[in-house]
Amino acid sequence: MMLSLKWMTFFIHTIDKLFKKTGISPSEVDVLVVNISMLAAVPSLSSRIIYHYKMREDIKVYNLTGMGCSASPIAINIVQNILKTQRNVQALVVTSESLSLGWYPGKDRSMILANCLFRSGGCAILLTNKVALKEKAMFKLKCLVRTHHGAKDESYGCCIQKEDDQGFVGVHLGKNLPKAATRAFVENLKEIAPKILPVRELLRFILLTLIRKMTQKSTKTGASARPVINFKTGVDHFCLHTGGKAVIDAVAQNLNLTEHDIEPARMTLHRFGNTSASSIWYVLAYMQAKKRLKRGDKVFMISFGAGFKCNSCLWEVMRDLNQDGNVWKEFINSYPPKTITNPFLEKYGWIQEEDPDTFCIPDDYVIP
Amino acid sequence: MPEMFPKFTTSIKLKYVKLGYQYLVNHIVTFLFIPIMVAVSIKILKLGPEEILTIWNSVHFDLVQILCSSFLVIFIATVYFMSKPRSIYLVDYACYKPPSTCRVPFSTFMEHSRLNLKDNPKSVEFQMRILERSGLGEETSLPPEIHYIPPNPTMEAARNEAEIVIFSAIDSLMQKTRIKPKDIDILIVNCSLFSPTPSLSAMVVNKYKLRSNIKSFNLSGMGCSAGLISIDLARDVLQVHPNSSALIVSTEIITPNYYQGSERAMLVPNCLFRMGGAAILLSNKRGDRNRAKYKSVHVVRTHKGADDKAYKCVYQQEDPQGKVGINLSKDLMIIAGEALKSNITTIGPLVLPASEQLLFLFTLIGRKIFNPKWKPYIPDFKQAFEHFCIHAGGRAVIDELQRNLQLSADHVEASRMTLHRFGNTSSSSLWYELSYIEAKGRMKKGDRIWQIAFGSGFKCNSAIWKCNRRIKTPTDGPWQDCIDRYPVHIPEIVKL
Repeated sequence: MMLSLKWMTFFIHTIDKLFKKTGISPSEVDVLVVNISMLAAVPSLSSRIIYHYKMREDIKVYNLTGMGCSASPIAINIVQNILKTQRNVQALVVTSESLSLGWYPGKDRSMILANCLFRSGGCAILLTNKVALKEKAMFKLKCLVRTHHGAKDESYGCCIQKEDDQGFVGVHLGKNLPKAATRAFVENLKEIAPKILPVRELLRFILLTLIRKMTQKSTKTGASARPVINFKTGVDHFCLHTGGKAVIDAVAQNLNLTEHDIEPARMTLHRFGNTSASSIWYVLAYMQAKKRLKRGDKVFMISFGAGFKCNSCLWEVMRDLNQDGNVWKEFINSYPPKTITNPFLEKYGWIQEEDPDTFCIPDDYVIP
Repeated sequence: MPEMFPKFTTSIKLKYVKLGYQYLVNHIVTFLFIPIMVAVSIKILKLGPEEILTIWNSVHFDLVQILCSSFLVIFIATVYFMSKPRSIYLVDYACYKPPSTCRVPFSTFMEHSRLNLKDNPKSVEFQMRILERSGLGEETSLPPEIHYIPPNPTMEAARNEAEIVIFSAIDSLMQKTRIKPKDIDILIVNCSLFSPTPSLSAMVVNKYKLRSNIKSFNLSGMGCSAGLISIDLARDVLQVHPNSSALIVSTEIITPNYYQGSERAMLVPNCLFRMGGAAILLSNKRGDRNRAKYKSVHVVRTHKGADDKAYKCVYQQEDPQGKVGINLSKDLMIIAGEALKSNITTIGPLVLPASEQLLFLFTLIGRKIFNPKWKPYIPDFKQAFEHFCIHAGGRAVIDELQRNLQLSADHVEASRMTLHRFGNTSSSSLWYELSYIEAKGRMKKGDRIWQIAFGSGFKCNSAIWKCNRRIKTPTDGPWQDCIDRYPVHIPEIVKL
């Protein structure tokens, strides 16, 4: 519990930076949504933030937990609903993950995987529907679609926090996770595609599908290639959740993306690891730091989460963005790196050949 | 003797003066309207029928004028109806009734306490003292895992408790409202101290096979006032989505949070918190307008987290031995009183009748301008509400609120009896109290209900409901087998 308080200090630093960048004071925040998946503390983290910044008494505050790596679009959904009914509202969304209590000390391999992938990180986002702030805004939310496959048992059970045989708690990642993810992803795309793609592309897809169906009926010789919908006609940049190398590869293959498109996601995974709900914001920051975002561009964010959920949203870039105050500032120039091989493999790689049962530290090895 | 008489007569006079004043101010529009109408009708009657006819014929109405004015009227009416916020109705709700096997009478609790804390007799003494003064009865329940000596709270057991409580509540709600799982558009689950991955909302989606485009939210860490926060969130989401229904589940899972150390301030929650849960169905569909039990009028939220003391008064932390528990500070009552004052300052103008608001304004002006020594006028909330549901946080909370709001014992009976029968079930206690009022047959159409809840942080939230239809005394529900025994007299101290 004490560790989580230390983690708070690095968090306050992030929110301070945000307030300084935007010039908005904490007492002007009307809505606060905090999401953190694995920590349920009393008072909630949202109360800690209110306490630290002395926010107003009539603030609307929500503390979401347990919603996994896709919690960011859910938090944005809450804010979206409130902003539609009230005018002149400023909302602060804080997303992060707490690892100190979620570290798995046992031996079950499906749970050790989570230890290897998850890393600390967080993001603070300021949203508003005030017309006066339109000039300062970076992005505009166009649409948001949520898909929840919890009704299917395999989807529900593929990413679940539970105890192993020895009683240690860890997050079990099942072997059917990619399959469940694909199913949820396809359904989500089916719903969001008509909302974000131009009519031209939709018509083309429908026509091709019809033609294929008719030719299949008349001839019966081997199926011609299924027509693939081209998302690049409606979307310029893709923010993929950095769930792991396999996830990024699978999504890239499904959407027919090039290396250039998925470079931000790969580099985020390399530099920051899987920071859970905040990973898509690191990917977005990479694009901004590389000066890829120009006014009018469309950015598509996709994230997956335990449950099984797939949430996506589309943002439109409001002005040309450069890298002021970005988290990638200091090392963006060294990305993308020439090789992604582990630089320590040569020096320490020998440990992978050792047998855990007969291992003992060799006499001539000096522990640094 | 002669001294007492003047006091008696003056107090009667004051009472009638106050009643007269209230009647006058609250019905001032009628009092002004009636004389004017009488004067106008006398004038017309004086005129005579032929003169009225000539006046009528002399007034020309052009076709264009008629069309324009009727168009204007229709336009204004449409704008008015379209811009009104959607009405949110509470169709029905269901509370979880724990089985008698989970019952924890005083003797069981003290025996377990003595065995678990055998190295700390002082802590056992302390727990006994708290239990004696707590206001709890002999039928409150703890989850099965806590009945073990020592309790062994695993995540598996916590999930089991969550399943039992949440699924029973939702099953009985679905039976009452005859709603199908596929018709639920919004799902909000709030449980303060247990948040597994995937969330409890995902667990509900999985069990009932809810739709894949459901909008689900899982709130936690928000304390005992989280139930009203969920209602507020549901209202906001229902404003944006027409023709939808929202399922809200409020509960508190005790299994992982039973304090196993010996620090005194952290043993108090063990004595007070008990198993319970509620499921509520909100809707903005037209078809539910007639069958809904209540209509939502307002939800007002106050957050005192900016103040240091308020923030730290309910705090989850580790004790010197590393065991996690919730620390309740001694200033809890004072802070609760202040949070309540902020909340009723906002709620007052929304619900109080004009007479009370004027009185409050006069005393406020008087104190500021004339004499600061005037006592601040506490508005009479009994004028604005018929029923009060105060979160059954503990006996002290109910006493404090009764004193602050000048309520009678009848008004707080629902809260006290819920504390006695079910203990402090955290966010779901307000629904047990409402269920008590209905089970006693006291709820009539048009009655206004005020639900107040406090929570860690420190928050004070209020929800105001209006009874939408005649409610038959329910024959099912958590009070079905014991309502005839209530109300009971709860002594100041129960001798153990």
